Amino acid sequence: MIELPLILLGGLLGSAHCLGMCGPLAISLSAGAPPGANHINRQLIFGVGRIFTYTFCGAIAGFSGAWLTKRSSGFVQSQATLAIFAGTLLVLMGLVTAGVLPRPFYRLLGGLPCGASSWLKTYLSAPGWSGPLLAGLFTGFIPCGLVYAFLLKAGSTANMGQGMLTMLAFGIGTIPLMVLVGYGGQFLSLVGRAHLFRIAAWCIVVTGVISIARGAVQFSAPNETATAICPLCEPIKAEAPGS
Amino acid sequence: MDVPEASYCCSGCRSVAGVLESEQEEGDAANGLLRLGLAIFFTMNVMVFTMALWSQDIYPADSFTNPLAETLRSLFRWASLVFALPVLYLLGGPIARGVWQAIRSRRLTTDLMILAGVVAAYCYSLVSVLRDEGHIYFEVGAMVMVFVSIGRWLEAKGKHRTGASLDALANLLPATVRRVDDHGHISEVPREKVRTGEILRVLPGERFPVDGIITQGRATVDEQIVTGESVQVEKSACMNVYSGTLNLDGDLRIEVIAADGKETISRIVDMVRAARSVKGRHEKIADRIAAVFIPLVCVIAMVAGWRQGQIAGLDQGILTALSVVLIACPCALGMATPMAVWTALGRAAQGGLFFRSGVVMERLAGVRIACFDKTGTLTTGKPLASELHAALSADREQVLEIATLLAKGSIHSLSQAIVDYSHGQSISESDSSNTEIETWPGQGLSCDLPEFGRVVLGSRRFVEELGLSLPPELDQDSSAQQVFVGWDDCVQGVFGFCEQLRPEAALAIYECKGLGLELHLFSGDEGDRVVPLGEQVGVSTKGNMLPEDKAISLSTLKKRGLVAMVGDGLNDAPALATADVGVALGCGADVSRDAAGVCLLTDDLRRFPWAVGLARQTVRIVKQNLFWAFAYNSIGIGLAATGRLNPIWAALAMATSSILVVSNSLRLAHYSEPQSVDTAMSERNSVAVTQRPRESVNPQPELAEALL
Repeated sequence: MIELPLILLGGLLGSAHCLGMCGPLAISLSAGAPPGANHINRQLIFGVGRIFTYTFCGAIAGFSGAWLTKRSSGFVQSQATLAIFAGTLLVLMGLVTAGVLPRPFYRLLGGLPCGASSWLKTYLSAPGWSGPLLAGLFTGFIPCGLVYAFLLKAGSTANMGQGMLTMLAFGIGTIPLMVLVGYGGQFLSLVGRAHLFRIAAWCIVVTGVISIARGAVQFSAPNETATAICPLCEPIKAEAPGS
Repeated sequence: MDVPEASYCCSGCRSVAGVLESEQEEGDAANGLLRLGLAIFFTMNVMVFTMALWSQDIYPADSFTNPLAETLRSLFRWASLVFALPVLYLLGGPIARGVWQAIRSRRLTTDLMILAGVVAAYCYSLVSVLRDEGHIYFEVGAMVMVFVSIGRWLEAKGKHRTGASLDALANLLPATVRRVDDHGHISEVPREKVRTGEILRVLPGERFPVDGIITQGRATVDEQIVTGESVQVEKSACMNVYSGTLNLDGDLRIEVIAADGKETISRIVDMVRAARSVKGRHEKIADRIAAVFIPLVCVIAMVAGWRQGQIAGLDQGILTALSVVLIACPCALGMATPMAVWTALGRAAQGGLFFRSGVVMERLAGVRIACFDKTGTLTTGKPLASELHAALSADREQVLEIATLLAKGSIHSLSQAIVDYSHGQSISESDSSNTEIETWPGQGLSCDLPEFGRVVLGSRRFVEELGLSLPPELDQDSSAQQVFVGWDDCVQGVFGFCEQLRPEAALAIYECKGLGLELHLFSGDEGDRVVPLGEQVGVSTKGNMLPEDKAISLSTLKKRGLVAMVGDGLNDAPALATADVGVALGCGADVSRDAAGVCLLTDDLRRFPWAVGLARQTVRIVKQNLFWAFAYNSIGIGLAATGRLNPIWAALAMATSSILVVSNSLRLAHYSEPQSVDTAMSERNSVAVTQRPRESVNPQPELAEALL
């Protein structure tokens, strides 16, 4: 998968976009921690929890993609359609993040974490490893346009393993910034952050464009499977649509 | 813990019902949440491995020919087992404890069936894994437990919230008090340790921790919490203060007359709690059904499971039986009524309204006829001077001036009314400070004035006994109460009085009519004095009624439908007791007045239509809940018994159904307050304009004000 590094980068830089939402949760993880707790560890475990959820959702997306492709084979190019759809969404998200397009649902989504954090608090302030892990786990479910866009991308792989990999890469990408934010340092100047935002945004746009391109290629040449092969999916190659 | 045995199908429901009785410890709740979170984490893992297996099923032919895929398949099955076991421990444990309790008290619960189904699914899958063939259903067992637990947890939160308004009330009381010992030393002690007779110091800005009598100091007190009216009252030595009310500005010493647990706020909270434990008609029906329901469901589940087992194999049989039990769990049925009624009772308490029980609330919703007592209910009980007739020979202003001068010497309600009347007429007031006014108890007042000689103010008998002559133009046989003023052996003027309607009475009556209530006005006063009053507000009126007569009239009315009697609870206790619902006004701190089913803290009549509205909305929501629960259970069982419903969906539906019932009921917590007077007035006027020709001209400034 040539996009994996790009997805990782998209996650890494795109997480600047998520700071507004998941940032406060990460901060309260440190702020509400019992005295003497290791903040870095807690933040990392929190991140692992999030990645776990992303990967889990990636698995579901990949599986659903595979199931859909199988069900509709010869009828609709579902994998290609999904790829184009996901690509379009990614481009849109990228453009919104870059500030080229206005933010449509910003207000709508902005209010959500407040409601969620009331019961997330129990996990955020719990000692030991299970609290932060579960907090991360549930934070992963918080509605987020970027996550959904990458989930569609994962679905378009029409393969469970690759769906998981996609989301894993995205999740790992989000770790560094979230840990830094959670750790509470003023890590970047305002200008630096603005630059980062822009690079992240265009990164997402590029991922989207690649996805659209692959979808388009699949439409025109359905016999070729452009995806890489993992052990689980070997059978899929043999059963690839139209073969 | 006295929890309805039959209506709670499951350990979760029973344990959350316990949350109300005794506040669960914070640590316990957090621990439960942590268990649930971990179980979800493990279940997600199980799901991933199960999906991996399913994705092989998508292309079954190949997955069995490829050796690597074959190895992976076996590996994933083991992984599912490994991750599924902790879920059984984490979530199955609490369910099993509940089941064990139920078994020991010889009760059949659906929890038992759910647990049996889940364990069966686990066992079947375990055998499959060990034999390395056949389907595995770990994900079904794990997800069923997760959904069931999430549903129960949300129910618990919902049930807890029905009591939130009460807790807020109880939390107003300070935790510690300043106790003053015999030597004047002050020490802080917990509120619970205070005994009757002890002296406490209460500082400005503090709430009174107990009921007491002021022994020293004076203060302005905000009693809104017990009277519902935001009116500040001046309090000084020997006056009562109630727990929860706010001492605004005085440094007070109070003697405790009712200690913690017996004081006003505790009594209010206890009363609402007690009201909850009485089951209404709807709840009893639901209970009776639930009692039959559970054994019936068990039978259906076993028959359906056995049949599916015959047709499609043991595993399908287990799943079918599990689906039936899950979908049929009568949690929603059991909660439909109490959730709504409890929320409504709390909401009512917030609005200064107390229902003796949920039954009363159900009855009030069905009320079609409402009867009002007159004095103290529709009227303030304070007379109002409505007119002054002066003798032809007298100067009206002078008559009023002298009458006012005399009236100021008395606190009798008629005298006060005359003073108020003259204020309204803006009469120049003469200085009465050096006039000596003689009071004739029960008859009138008199004094000597230099210019007029002896002037008198009093009843007809009083002036006649003193030998004053009554000019013919003043000698009218009026049904209204009259007070005469005279000097020079002649009556110079006569005041006519009428009863003062409550400012909100007209509006309250209008709102009652809007609710479609048939209204009656009962009074012990003479008919021709009461009837005009009734006509003013547009209510059919009966006068000359003794308390027994009221009760008899109510019995007659009761034949036509449910009747509510609204009174002040003092002289109309028999009527309140006879009516289907007795509503007592102005109970204030005395919420436990016996005869009334509903107590209004304030004298605000508009709370009555508000209460009827709230009761009707509550019953509407109860019916919605019951309808939903029945429909959902019947349709669901049909689907499940024929093997068309996967247990995972059944568990999800069960949780969703409970949440629906809970959130539908909690809507009552936001039942709106009565409209502000201005809004209600303008609305009423738009209607009133069209009806104006029918309304009689009314001489009462209060009512005129209300109509404007």
